[in-house]
Amino acid sequence: MERHLAEKFPRRHNRKLYSFSIAVILILATLSFIPVPTNAASFTASLDRDSIALGESATLTLKFEGDLPQSEPSLPEIPGLNIGSALRNSIDLNINGVPSSILTLTYSLAPQHTGDFTIPALTADVNGQRLATAPLKLNVTQPQVPMAADIKSGSQIAFMKLTLPKTNIYTGEVMAADLRIYYRQDARLAQPPRLTDLPVAGFTVGKIASSDQSQVQIGNAIYNVIPAKIALTAIKSGPLSIGPIAVGLLLDVPSENQPRDPFFAQFGVHSPFFSGEQKQVALATERVNVESLPLPVENVPADFNGAVGNYSMTTTAGPTNLATGDPITVRVQISGRGALDAITLPNQAAWNDFKIFPPTSKVETTDQLGLEGDKTFEEIVTPQNTDIRALPPFSFSLFNPDDGKYHTLTQSAVPLAVHSGGATVMPAIAVNKNSAGENQTPQDILPIKENFGTLETKSVPLIVQPKFLAMQSLPVLAFLAAFIWRKRTDSLANNPRLRRQRAVAQLVRDGISDLKNFAVENKPEEFFATLFRLLQEQLGERLDCPASAITENVIDEHPVLRGAPKTTPDDLRELFQLCNQARYAPVRGSSELNSVAAQFEKTASELQNLKT
Amino acid sequence: MLFFAGNIFAANVAMDFPAANKFYAEGKFAEAAAGYEKILQTGAASPALYFNCGNAEFKSGNLGKAVAAFRRAELLAPRDSEIRANLDFVRNQVEGATLRESRWRDWLGQLTLNEWTMLTVIVFWLAFFLLAAKQICPALAPRLREATFAIGTLLIFSGACLGLDAAKHFSKQAAVVVSPETVARSGPFDEAQNAFAVHDGVELSVLDRHDDWIQVTDGSGKIGWLQTKQVDVLPGA
Repeated sequence: MERHLAEKFPRRHNRKLYSFSIAVILILATLSFIPVPTNAASFTASLDRDSIALGESATLTLKFEGDLPQSEPSLPEIPGLNIGSALRNSIDLNINGVPSSILTLTYSLAPQHTGDFTIPALTADVNGQRLATAPLKLNVTQPQVPMAADIKSGSQIAFMKLTLPKTNIYTGEVMAADLRIYYRQDARLAQPPRLTDLPVAGFTVGKIASSDQSQVQIGNAIYNVIPAKIALTAIKSGPLSIGPIAVGLLLDVPSENQPRDPFFAQFGVHSPFFSGEQKQVALATERVNVESLPLPVENVPADFNGAVGNYSMTTTAGPTNLATGDPITVRVQISGRGALDAITLPNQAAWNDFKIFPPTSKVETTDQLGLEGDKTFEEIVTPQNTDIRALPPFSFSLFNPDDGKYHTLTQSAVPLAVHSGGATVMPAIAVNKNSAGENQTPQDILPIKENFGTLETKSVPLIVQPKFLAMQSLPVLAFLAAFIWRKRTDSLANNPRLRRQRAVAQLVRDGISDLKNFAVENKPEEFFATLFRLLQEQLGERLDCPASAITENVIDEHPVLRGAPKTTPDDLRELFQLCNQARYAPVRGSSELNSVAAQFEKTASELQNLKT
Repeated sequence: MLFFAGNIFAANVAMDFPAANKFYAEGKFAEAAAGYEKILQTGAASPALYFNCGNAEFKSGNLGKAVAAFRRAELLAPRDSEIRANLDFVRNQVEGATLRESRWRDWLGQLTLNEWTMLTVIVFWLAFFLLAAKQICPALAPRLREATFAIGTLLIFSGACLGLDAAKHFSKQAAVVVSPETVARSGPFDEAQNAFAVHDGVELSVLDRHDDWIQVTDGSGKIGWLQTKQVDVLPGA
């Protein structure tokens, strides 16, 4: 090397410079291989198991290291694979003074069928960098059905059995499949069993009912039994199969290091301080072959509409004495065992003279699966004419799988007495008066109105409004007033004496007023002239004789005055004498004239009250 | 206050009525019917509103509601020939026996109760005016004899019509079946026997009420009970 350097760099200074450069380059290269603590992010995905049995679940873990994503990735939908909610776990670290984080997202994956599932690559944005995971594969296999010997030995922690009442059924027949789940007594259910697969092609599944758990000894082990029944109805004929049915169990099983507490074990229960491990167990039944027989094609009743089962029928109908158009309620009760929900009433061809309304139905079952009970129909029919004498027989045909034959259940005819009811009023045909032809039948209603019109307010009718009714008394009162006025007027016109009485009374009233004025003005001549006239008028009216004929003498002569108070004639004489004296006597003073006026007023009042 | 409330009232109707009409014109009859019902629920009413509502209900297939709406329109405007025409048309579509007014009741319905009342009141006032005039001025009596007789006859006639119309208004109620394929029962409870079947749009006379049930007759002697939700009871005529 030195010779090479010597040849290349003959001068000593240049050789040193070259060696120094080589050393720096070597140091830098070495340093580049030393990991420098930085915040580089990573995103990975992993499965705890890549192969599981149907009924078990796998765990998918997504892990972010270093930097955290701006948003957590969302898993795509994978058909046939149930993905649970994410469990999030985050840890913050400090590595050699550099902060870092680890984010873990855990998902539970529960497959719904066997096969291969692919979890695609997932992407996430981390610190401006787009990271992706590798795709993952999950293989789901059919759970293994344990061997009978293994079951008998009691070594199986759990297993399942499917039993069918029969393997030859008719199309449309319903049966109850018996499914039993067994799990060993030393384990306990962490959650209810999960039915993950129920392959029943060619059947419809009805209700699933479970009953109380029991215990059974198999081999040397005691098992808890969860019984369940499944209602299955064959919907097509030919070879069918049921199963393998798959169920997933999650059991708490004791760990090998912790045996069962013998104190609690003697009672068949776990210690409250039980702590073991959870174990997923995938159970499967055998596939059971079923032959679905087609219904016979011979001797099929005309009204057979697919009812398969063992049924009886009762019917009632009423009322039986009615008018045309009145309803008859027909109640049909189908009782027995079969697919009750699927039963429908057949058309009754003989009921042409009746109008039939759509029936209503009600099902009452007596078992958990709904295979036994009653279905009651209520149908309204109305007779259309009076010639009807009876409700024709009601028939219902069924196929009984127990004897393999068709049967027709018939209710005999119900006598009816139908009479004519109210005639239907033939409505008048609507004719638009604005239409061109008078006899033109309208084909549609007239169009809507564009204007809202007058707003109507809801008010009490006028005829019950008190104020309105009170106002109607006004013309009556006016008439009464006019009537009374007329009567008074007529009464006066036919009674001259009364007229004179009123006229004289008015005259006297006015006269008294004049007398007072004359007295005040001290006019004795006018005073006594007026007084004399008034005396004549008043006495003339009372005595029913002309006023001009009245003198002082009438006081003694006329018998009417005899009925007057004793002072009245004396007062009258005095007044007459005063009038006579006034012609000759000297002038009197105002006060004397006033007293005379007062005396006359009193006397006139007594005369007016005098009965004549 | 009343004026203010009335203005708000008018504003809603001014917007909602044309909007409902627009739905009808576009063939959206159910929406139109809902729009008219919304206006009616505010308390607003007019013959045109009920008329249009009846049209929309008929086009939506609700015969009973259509008949009820046209009947209500007829109560407000008994002499509207268009209302009458549409009511008769819809009645033609109704199946089964239905209660129909007699001719004279139909004729009586040409005037509303308030119109009969005003007519009678006017004749009443005129009659007593003439009687008072005869008292005040007997010389007019001979000349007013014929007029008084005519007015008196008119008063008796209009009074009788008013009495009959008032009796019909206050004592007789009509109901229209608004449910399809309904059955009247013999008693006011669900378990009662069926009495007779009624169809959507059938008009019945109300006889009695009990809780949520009303007793009805179709005029041919058949009596039964229907639930109030199955019928639309019309206001007094």
